[in-house]
Amino acid sequence: MAANEVAPGWRLSDDPKVTIAAEDVRLRYTVNRSTGGSWWRRGSRKAVTGPVLRGVTMAAREGEMVGLVGLNGSGKSSLLRVLAGLQPATSGTVVASAQPQLLGVSAALVPELSGEENIWLGTLAMGMTPDDAYFAKERIEELAGLGDAIKQPMNTYSSGMGARLRFAISVAADPEILMIDEALSTGDASFAERSKEAMQGLIARAGTVFLVSHAAKTIEDMCTRAIWLDAGTLIADGPADEVANMYRYYAHSIALGKHDAAKKALERATAAHPPALSHT
Amino acid sequence: MTAPSQRSGSQGLRTQWRRAWSARRSGADALSPALRLRLEREFGDISYLRRVGTRPPLREYFTELWDRRHFVWAGARGEAVTRYSNERLGVAWYVLRPLLDAAFYWVIFGIVLQLSRGMENFIAFILIGVFMFQLSSRAITSGVSLIRSSKAMIRAFAFPRAALAVSMILRDFLSSLPAIAVMFVMIMAIPPHEAPNVAWSLFPIVLVLQLALSLGFALFFGWLGALMPDLAQAMSFVSRLLMYASAVIFPIERFLDDPAVLAIVQANPIYIVLDMYRSVLISGAVPPAEQWISLSIWSLATLAVGFILFWRDEERYGRE
Repeated sequence: MAANEVAPGWRLSDDPKVTIAAEDVRLRYTVNRSTGGSWWRRGSRKAVTGPVLRGVTMAAREGEMVGLVGLNGSGKSSLLRVLAGLQPATSGTVVASAQPQLLGVSAALVPELSGEENIWLGTLAMGMTPDDAYFAKERIEELAGLGDAIKQPMNTYSSGMGARLRFAISVAADPEILMIDEALSTGDASFAERSKEAMQGLIARAGTVFLVSHAAKTIEDMCTRAIWLDAGTLIADGPADEVANMYRYYAHSIALGKHDAAKKALERATAAHPPALSHT
Repeated sequence: MTAPSQRSGSQGLRTQWRRAWSARRSGADALSPALRLRLEREFGDISYLRRVGTRPPLREYFTELWDRRHFVWAGARGEAVTRYSNERLGVAWYVLRPLLDAAFYWVIFGIVLQLSRGMENFIAFILIGVFMFQLSSRAITSGVSLIRSSKAMIRAFAFPRAALAVSMILRDFLSSLPAIAVMFVMIMAIPPHEAPNVAWSLFPIVLVLQLALSLGFALFFGWLGALMPDLAQAMSFVSRLLMYASAVIFPIERFLDDPAVLAIVQANPIYIVLDMYRSVLISGAVPPAEQWISLSIWSLATLAVGFILFWRDEERYGRE
């Protein structure tokens, strides 16, 4: 298709627009209490967990590939779920230029159906016409690269294969905002290269990609910008390589049990790359 | 990069998503004035932003649902075909299961308990009851677990969740088609043979009303099941209760002396549906007008209430 048929908003302009913004997002999970209290009351009373997100304010623009780093339980996945609108925040606002597409770690879509049929259902679920879905199918199979396994039921897939297929389906829909929650960490080297290319394609078409990983290396390789989350608070927000490097040092200090050094690393990171919108 | 072909294929999708998205509540004024000013100063106009996690207005919801009609159809057809794919007899179970049910109830209630005394065609009575009842009862029992069983799809893709309920009803309808065909054959083949007559042409109309009722039930119980997951445990009881209260296997009105209870049973929409099928197929008579009216009211009201409730909680279905 000729370039002039492409709507102007869908190419990366010199002045990238904001695609998603979050203000003072706080989150506590509500769970059913399973211990304590009289037995006839148990289960009906709600208990809340400690804060998972403690007031996150941030914005992302077109053409950005944002990495989220942090230890396990720091709130990375929760933040993505809130940004994607799957988990309502306890308080705070999230606004976006399009419905974000979140790619989580769960393996199968409809486990009894084959990969092919899941592609068909998935593309139609996103609103494609059967014609579009027919043409998209080939691209998806190529990107997923599963070979003959595409004809097997999806409950026979390994977690890596499931993630590849779901990634390929999501990218085929050309979402403006794509969020990937560890889903690619199970892929092998050949897929890593292809998925990187596909994501860069999205970004060139004025998209924004969020990538969660606790491997600093992945963030360094793939992203243009990194956000560091610790215990539900933004620690740093800046160029991917610098933030990832600082995070690596911090995680190393924690692993060695040097808590003073880790604490200083947090302070240094905040001083070097303060989260831009936190104090408005 | 394979950009050109990729764009031409997905161009329509982004347009469609933009349209759907722009119907949502405006987001820029949801931000605090300070942040809004700052974003506008640094990045320009932000009025196109919309709030994430809000449901679309009802009219746009219908449009989006219509855009997913191919998804609804593919989901219904796919699952109807693969449902018994693990069994050796495969699709034959669509017919065998209701047949076995009907034979079982006929032996217990017709032969052992002799409830058939004084009925002109007890076999047809049981066949119609058992075969047509499952269309409604399945809508309720699987409606309760609708959201839970589709969690992976809900998390992976953004689409109006009501599409799942429509797909489920359509799937149940498709998979009960062979059973309905067998029911007709048996009514005609087993003595006293019922011969096709003009009244039989009313059958599809009753069926459409029953499907509308089922969709309403699926939406309502889908909403209720997402609100109270415990309900799934109570469903086998509910469907058994419904079975006896709807005169599926024996004419319950013979055992009820209390006029109030009888009135409740006869107002039950599934009872009305089955009674209408029986008037049409066994007696060859046109069902009375009040049955048509009350079934239509039931169907439309359940559909409307179920849809509104389901749509109101749209944003909750994806949460943990």
